[in-house]
Amino acid sequence: MPIIIISCDSYRTGRDIGEKTARAMGYDYVDREILPPVCEKYGVQEEKLLKALEETPSLLGLSSKLRNRYLAYIQEATLGQLLDDNVVCHGLAAHLYVLGVSHALKVRVLSPPEALAGELSTESVASPEKAKKIVKRYEEQRKSWSVGTFNLDETDPSNYDMVISLAQIDPDEAVKTIADTAGYRKFQPMTYSVKCLKDKELAGRVRVLLMNKFPDVKVKADGSTVVVETKAVKREKRKRTEAIKELAGSVEGVSYVEVHVATDIFRQAAESAR
Amino acid sequence: MAIITISRGSYSKGKEVAEKVAERLGYECVSRDVLLDASDRFHIPEVKLIRAIHDAPSVLERFQHGKQVFIAYIRSALTCRVAKDNLVYHGLAGHLLLKGVPHVLKVRIMADMTSRITAEMEREGISEQEARTLLQRDDEERRRWTRSLYGVDPWDSSLYDLVIHISKLTVSDAVDFISEAALKEQFQTTESHRRKMEDLALACQVKAALVDPFFDVGVTSDYGNVLIYAKSGDRHVNKIKKRAKELEKEIEGINNLEVHAGVPVPEDAL
Repeated sequence: MPIIIISCDSYRTGRDIGEKTARAMGYDYVDREILPPVCEKYGVQEEKLLKALEETPSLLGLSSKLRNRYLAYIQEATLGQLLDDNVVCHGLAAHLYVLGVSHALKVRVLSPPEALAGELSTESVASPEKAKKIVKRYEEQRKSWSVGTFNLDETDPSNYDMVISLAQIDPDEAVKTIADTAGYRKFQPMTYSVKCLKDKELAGRVRVLLMNKFPDVKVKADGSTVVVETKAVKREKRKRTEAIKELAGSVEGVSYVEVHVATDIFRQAAESAR
Repeated sequence: MAIITISRGSYSKGKEVAEKVAERLGYECVSRDVLLDASDRFHIPEVKLIRAIHDAPSVLERFQHGKQVFIAYIRSALTCRVAKDNLVYHGLAGHLLLKGVPHVLKVRIMADMTSRITAEMEREGISEQEARTLLQRDDEERRRWTRSLYGVDPWDSSLYDLVIHISKLTVSDAVDFISEAALKEQFQTTESHRRKMEDLALACQVKAALVDPFFDVGVTSDYGNVLIYAKSGDRHVNKIKKRAKELEKEIEGINNLEVHAGVPVPEDAL
């Protein structure tokens, strides 16, 4: 059975649509409520995970290194939930990292601009023009967050199967449309699409484990084979390869680890200059 | 009883979707017909209208307001057709030309670049690179056109009620969604919607009649009472008033027509 991933410009509206869809289809609903166990497991405050999902790195906020690590935790937990199938997922940015999985139906829901502006602004929104400005500014922030983090524009409709605006369409009608669409044959899991999702989940687990020591690692999985890409100076290459192989090999489901270490030219140059 | 606009990029299967929706609902399917109507009514060669609605204005054109004139003609032809109801319009810029009409179901159909390239290669017999370049150029032209004349990006999904990506979803799925949505209560033509549409069509006709040479006049219509807004100190005010008197006789449906000079132009004025 398919996975439904809902992205929405308003967390409240997305949650409402997600819960209703899950209820209509008898599916599980997954959202930010899965974060407390993640916080406990990794000893992180929930507030920080939420910041990583919403804010771009800044001097006073999260560093990009920390944000990437927190997002990796979220990604690992979300992918684990999605493996169960029959799931409606919202609010965990899954639309940006569950790519190439054909049984995932991705829907973007847009709230009416006035309602969204009212939610975003503490002041009362007097005119539709002001509402539009507030929404535009927020959209720009989300765009910059998603491009900076996953190199994908969250506001680009081509990243979804469908976009529904609630300005004219009633939320219950939107829910019905989503539920009907999820029933289409193309969104039924196939051996290959399930394998893609399992690969992503395994890669997510390995990445979380490696990130503490090697924050720049990129991990791909194919069955039980894991390919890790990283950077190091020449003399560290062998040591790093061995450490990665040992760590990644200890993850459940991994039978073979391939490590590609590229030369870190900046560190190499800095060390040669000393 | 609804009006549906389908916005699409070239080779995105939007035309096919529009035709099938019209067939399913028993509606009229309109695209080029609007340009032909405008061409007949205002005696402008169709090719000029196509350029006006397709190509982004050059720097010089922005000062000459030629495009605004042609677009006013096209809008007038489109609103006259739309006022009759039960219509699917899949020509360019329908969602923008019918802005402010509450019961219009605005849809955008998109397709993957790869499938668009394949379709263009098959139809035009050109190489992949040529097809890609042509499509990218066409998309960019649409973006520039919409930005320069309406200040929005046609790719912005908030302009539409539904955006459907033809990839995993098929043309037939899109037809199902649109047909179902069009039958919802909010898209049905009520008496108040019909009146608003007739007022818009009337205002568009008046604007089209005045736009050359008075391109900066504002026009509104409410229950057939047409107001023309001219800028204060406009040396053409007397000419506009004279032309307005003629229009009162020429255009059907006008109850009363007034020219206001030096009054702020309402935001919803054309």
